[in-house]
Amino acid sequence: MYILYSLRLAIQSVWHEKWINLLSVLTIAAGLFMITLTFFSVYNMDLATKKLPEKFSMMLYLNNDLSEHEVGNIMSTLKKNNAVERARYISKDKALEELRGVLKNADYVLEGINENPLPASIEVKLRQESVSISKVKKLAADIRKIKGIEEVEYGEQFLNSIHSIKAGAQTLGLFMISIMSTGVIFVCYSTVKIMFYRRKEEIETFKLLGATRGFIRAPFVIEGGILGIGGGVVSLIGTMALYYTLFYKLALTMPIFKIIVFPSEVFIALPFVGLALGVSGAVIALGRIRFS
Amino acid sequence: MIHFSDVSKIYENQAALRNITFSIEKGEMAFITGPSGAGKSTILKIIYLSEKPDEGSVTIAEWELSKLKESSIPFLRRNIGVVFQDFRLLDNRNVFDNIAMALRIRGMTEYEVKERVMEVLKTVNLRHKADGFPKTLSGGEQQRVVIARAIVGEPTVLLADEPTGNLDADTAAGITRMFKEINAKGTTVLVATHNKELFRNTGRRVIKIDNGTIVGEEMG
Repeated sequence: MYILYSLRLAIQSVWHEKWINLLSVLTIAAGLFMITLTFFSVYNMDLATKKLPEKFSMMLYLNNDLSEHEVGNIMSTLKKNNAVERARYISKDKALEELRGVLKNADYVLEGINENPLPASIEVKLRQESVSISKVKKLAADIRKIKGIEEVEYGEQFLNSIHSIKAGAQTLGLFMISIMSTGVIFVCYSTVKIMFYRRKEEIETFKLLGATRGFIRAPFVIEGGILGIGGGVVSLIGTMALYYTLFYKLALTMPIFKIIVFPSEVFIALPFVGLALGVSGAVIALGRIRFS
Repeated sequence: MIHFSDVSKIYENQAALRNITFSIEKGEMAFITGPSGAGKSTILKIIYLSEKPDEGSVTIAEWELSKLKESSIPFLRRNIGVVFQDFRLLDNRNVFDNIAMALRIRGMTEYEVKERVMEVLKTVNLRHKADGFPKTLSGGEQQRVVIARAIVGEPTVLLADEPTGNLDADTAAGITRMFKEINAKGTTVLVATHNKELFRNTGRRVIKIDNGTIVGEEMG
């Protein structure tokens, strides 16, 4: 029953100390807004790096003297591999034709070459989940063991770069989010601590009258929660405003902004994140309440 | 009801109480008297667990205080009403809310709180001051608010620390009458005072204390 009374005390306190609380809410909102931007950047970066492997392929160069039957065997072995999405055979002639297509007007470089110097090859597209450094390396090693394959080529450096960027962005994002979250907790901690000291006399009286720890803590925890929710709501409004003014309007004139993804359903969670951080700050601020 | 056995309390190498032993029976009204600094307040503080004794044992009803878990302290305190020497009224709350606080901490509904606070305000004759704030009240009225807050939870023990400190003789007599009425309803009352007028001709037990030790006992 005292929860209602605690809620009343918390609301009274928030109103009574409105300026300090407003300042806290704005500080929390700024922290949460930065967390949101970090998450937003990491999310979009992650999405971009996920799209890159769609273009990733392996080239398997074949021995010159392979029969049609042997090529067929290699193709069926590859298709049985779970990591392989599709395999395309490129004959010597086809390879030359494609090269001419690429060179276009510069195909004079091929003049004077009587014999086709290009080997037959197989282009292998991998399943997206298999495009990781370790999996690709293992697959390349396995493929090299297949009889008739002379050489395996894949963009090892390209793959390394993508994974480094992805891992770097995630680590940096996690670091930033941790720092900002700690900051938000600290703001709630400080505000609740100030409120606690301002009402020290009242709390001492509560204790002497027989108030339990729960009764003493509840208004402060609720107050921390209110500050957190307040900060969450303000940062949500800020995020939405930023999205609609910057991306929505700019996308009309600068189409590049269209590729940016805004996970609005995730950002709706901001007030709840604020609540959790606010309550955590308040709980830490109150510490252990002693009666004697 | 209250039993002190060889209790000592030392503050910074100075003994506030030395081997104090006494008992207050259930339903009794008694006084502790002595000069300022004799240790009267320390005895009361030990009873409502604001202080811990350094030696000896204290029992309140069935609770042996040294064995009491810290989380149980609030529940013991709800059985002890205290009239504090410095009142401990909250200036930012009106008379009603100051008294209601003692019930709200028990988780009572607002309906119950209102019923009981108005009833106790009637007992202390302050119903008309329910909306007033402590600073607008006289010393005697503030004292009655403190008494109302102490008894509203119907405690088994009522402690009063210098309850007539700054009051005139008539108001002090009124306060004493009030304690007797509370005691008549079965509440054990222990009053710490240096004011001999308070217990003169009351026919109640008076424990005399000086320099932290009991120096005598008499009937008032």
